[in-house]
Amino acid sequence: MKKLKSLLALVIVFAALIFTATGAVVPPVLQDLQKKMAAVKTVYLEFTQERVLKLFSDPLKSEGVMLIERPDKIRWETTAPYQTILIGDRNSVAQFEANDGKWEKLKLGFPQLLQHVLQQMAAMNQGNVNVMLNDYDVSVTTNTDIILTCIPKDASVRGMMSSLEIKLQPDLSATREVVLNEPNGDLTRITFTRTKYDATFPAGTFDQTKPLAIADVKAVVKHAP
Amino acid sequence: MRLKLLPLILLLAAGCATVPPVTRSWVRPAAALPADGFITQRAVFSARGAQFPFNGYLAVSASGGKRLVVTESFGHVIADVLVKPDGKIFVMQSSRMFPPEYIRHGVAADLECIFGSATNQACPVQKLSSNHFILKRNFYSLDLRIVDVKAGRQPENLFDETKAEKE
Repeated sequence: MKKLKSLLALVIVFAALIFTATGAVVPPVLQDLQKKMAAVKTVYLEFTQERVLKLFSDPLKSEGVMLIERPDKIRWETTAPYQTILIGDRNSVAQFEANDGKWEKLKLGFPQLLQHVLQQMAAMNQGNVNVMLNDYDVSVTTNTDIILTCIPKDASVRGMMSSLEIKLQPDLSATREVVLNEPNGDLTRITFTRTKYDATFPAGTFDQTKPLAIADVKAVVKHAP
Repeated sequence: MRLKLLPLILLLAAGCATVPPVTRSWVRPAAALPADGFITQRAVFSARGAQFPFNGYLAVSASGGKRLVVTESFGHVIADVLVKPDGKIFVMQSSRMFPPEYIRHGVAADLECIFGSATNQACPVQKLSSNHFILKRNFYSLDLRIVDVKAGRQPENLFDETKAEKE
């Protein structure tokens, strides 16, 4: 449960980058980012994830897609080396596992936890970047990229996640990478290989009973203007 | 509320991990896997009507034993166990979700059940294909798939029991 908080934090901060906020006293970069993203209705992201454990000589790699649609829909799908789909909105959440070519809906053991994630993201989507600033001390480094370094204010969270680094393109047009550092030196690096804004996702993309195949979603996104 | 009950459920499961009667022995996948290598698994653990998807990363060494790291879907380690070639079990890392007792008596037992080298020991496992297994205990089941196998010698420090957590 505690360890999953770091996932919450990751999603929250990531959501903060995607969605907009108003009214809060925020660093200039975040203000610029909010302005840039204010009109964004959907986000499509392909990613590679590397879980670097000191224990293993090679990182544990996975690939996937993340889709977000205002006001509160999200789909996180891992496509390799295994297949799983997590879909949620502010009211419910569903997870599917690939089973011999078919998707099996799980009876989730932690639906309330995932629901919490989604509620946080919905809050972000409604313009509440305060969650980020309430939970983290945020500093900005400008180099070839813009790097936001977020240090958890809560000591118990710092026990699991020492910092969160978010690397943005200089024009703030996209997030290149998110790195979640842990106190023991382990880390998770999510690199975004493709980003597309405001594509209209096809019906069924966020269906919690029978989600549309990601290949069909990709086909539509590929041809979106 | 269910979160608070989970360790209890898992402990109950571990305490009751007696093997249901099996009618025949089966050949474990160990014979088809490298003696030294790294095996990635995806598993769904089911207990009392709830399902929990996990990832498993198993380093095997003919001389060092088996080191299994279990993570939740997003990569956080929830169990880490070392089983030496002589069968001795060392809990390397536990979690609230998987306390040491469950890792020792549940995870390690299931690890040996599926990936152990013996071929005639009774084990409540159904082999659906060469990489898909279902293990059914009295109070839980595990639907496990091998999703990747890499042959090759693993670092010796993986099998160093002196780094086990203090129990």
